[in-house]
Amino acid sequence: MNEKYLNNTSVLISSIFTLLLLVSFGFAEEAMDSDKQDSTGVTNEFSNLPKDDTCISCHIEEEEMPEGFNENDIHMQAGLSCVGCHGGDNTIDDEDEAMDEENGFVGVPDREEIPALCGKCHSSIEFMRDYQPRIATDQVEQYYTSIHGEKFKQGDENVATCISCHSSHGIMPATDPRSTVYALSVPGTCKSCHSDKDYMADYNIPTDQYEKYAASVHGEALLDREDTGAPACNDCHGNHGTTPPGVASLAHVCGSCHVQNEEYFSQTQMAKEFAEDEMHACLECHGNHAVAKPTDDMVGIGEDAICMECHDVDEDGYFAADSIHIMLTQITAAYDSALSKLEEVKIIGMDDVEIGFLLQDAHQDIIHSRTLVHTFDPQRVKEKADVALKNSRDAIKLGIKELDDYDTRRMGLGVATLFITVLAIALFFKIRYIEEEQEKNKL
Amino acid sequence: MGISRKKFIDYILGGSLLGWLGSTLYPVLAYLKPPKVPEVNVNSVNAGMLTDFSINSSKILKFGRIPVILIRKDSGELRAFEATCTHLDCIVQYKRDEKQIYCACHNGRYDLHGLNISGPPPRPLVQFDVNVIRDEIVVSKPKPV
Repeated sequence: MNEKYLNNTSVLISSIFTLLLLVSFGFAEEAMDSDKQDSTGVTNEFSNLPKDDTCISCHIEEEEMPEGFNENDIHMQAGLSCVGCHGGDNTIDDEDEAMDEENGFVGVPDREEIPALCGKCHSSIEFMRDYQPRIATDQVEQYYTSIHGEKFKQGDENVATCISCHSSHGIMPATDPRSTVYALSVPGTCKSCHSDKDYMADYNIPTDQYEKYAASVHGEALLDREDTGAPACNDCHGNHGTTPPGVASLAHVCGSCHVQNEEYFSQTQMAKEFAEDEMHACLECHGNHAVAKPTDDMVGIGEDAICMECHDVDEDGYFAADSIHIMLTQITAAYDSALSKLEEVKIIGMDDVEIGFLLQDAHQDIIHSRTLVHTFDPQRVKEKADVALKNSRDAIKLGIKELDDYDTRRMGLGVATLFITVLAIALFFKIRYIEEEQEKNKL
Repeated sequence: MGISRKKFIDYILGGSLLGWLGSTLYPVLAYLKPPKVPEVNVNSVNAGMLTDFSINSSKILKFGRIPVILIRKDSGELRAFEATCTHLDCIVQYKRDEKQIYCACHNGRYDLHGLNISGPPPRPLVQFDVNVIRDEIVVSKPKPV
């Protein structure tokens, strides 16, 4: 009994031991695999690296490759190896000698040296033109004008430097989707510091910009639909010279894409008054990071109308807002109605081409009418809204005509079928009658 | 005095024969003037006479369901592109002063090869073939490469 018990125990222990061995072996293998992966999860095989570079061969052998290392790093690809930034001599086999200060070894550059270190090459057009003749070489200069750069000069040890955005050992061009500064990656890169409450605690600025941006019309386009034409943080704040847009520049920042909105707004009395009161043009109505898709209810005198935040009842602005809102509502309703008519026409297979073109024009006119809201002039909005209304109404008329035409055809088919049926029955009786007459005559 | 069975059948037969003839002949006559139906596959459209189309100008054509912008350059050369912006489907326009194709919605710009050169448009405009046949401009679908 005891022997059997001991046997069972030894089988159990040996099974657990084997299992542990297998699990630890699996972990080890996974760890080895992860060593070969960069921060984006792409496996580094190090096959593209120079074999005669002693820094690289030794660090691979010792499994001491730097965090986030990617062999496709643009500097590595251009032949600028570890020594370009860290100094030393990558032709010497002896570790101590290769990393001797006498051979220029600087090790990990101090944080305060980074802009100057990058600028050593990137601020020199003579050096850079060998690699990218049309590259800008004012990045470091711009950096020192930015909020980051200014704080850096004041000795701030947390503020972003070149490597905070570009990374250190996996730098890719901004056009490369793997890059930390690729259009789709920029919000995430900025977020890594700006959404960190603890990290940003000393700066007294909000940390919800990313959250707001991600839910905004711009964030939805960039992050959800991956529309690289949509603005990321740097499109409004700048790249190396990043700074929040001021009162004077905000309209121009938005106007770089929303050209006509800015053009109309800048000519208004309201623009002048905003500037006098140091109010941020577009931001006052649309917000900044959380800019939402505008709705027609933003204009007018209703609960959601922004106009009412400043204008009182019975002011000119009150009546203008109300009048513009009514026009926008009318053209949208007419357009929606024409759109549903178009769908009906499409479903029954009648001619929808002309209706489609009319609605395309109406859509353009609606966009233009909404843009003209920035003139705050009901008369100018009305001129365009009338055209939109006419196009939508013409489309509705055409739709009704097509639907009527379809009904007429169906009725015609019904009548024709009825006539054919009656004709067939009448023929049947006529033939029978003739046959009966013939029978009678025979008799 | 009631109508005889023979006459009744004759009336019905004659009436329905006329009705049948009418409903048969109507489509035949209607065929001579057919109703407007959408053309399933438009391969080319006439864009008017070359002499009526001034230098450095443009016009929007209806190419089946597709709006097409036809441009006559300073050199007199004709080019045509699908007029729908590749960003958010607004209709583009030709900027005579800047010699560019422009989308007013988000300041998208294309050169006169239809290439997206600035602003948010992600792709070039699809180019159409343009030929002048006996002074008449004919815009055709691009030939598959």
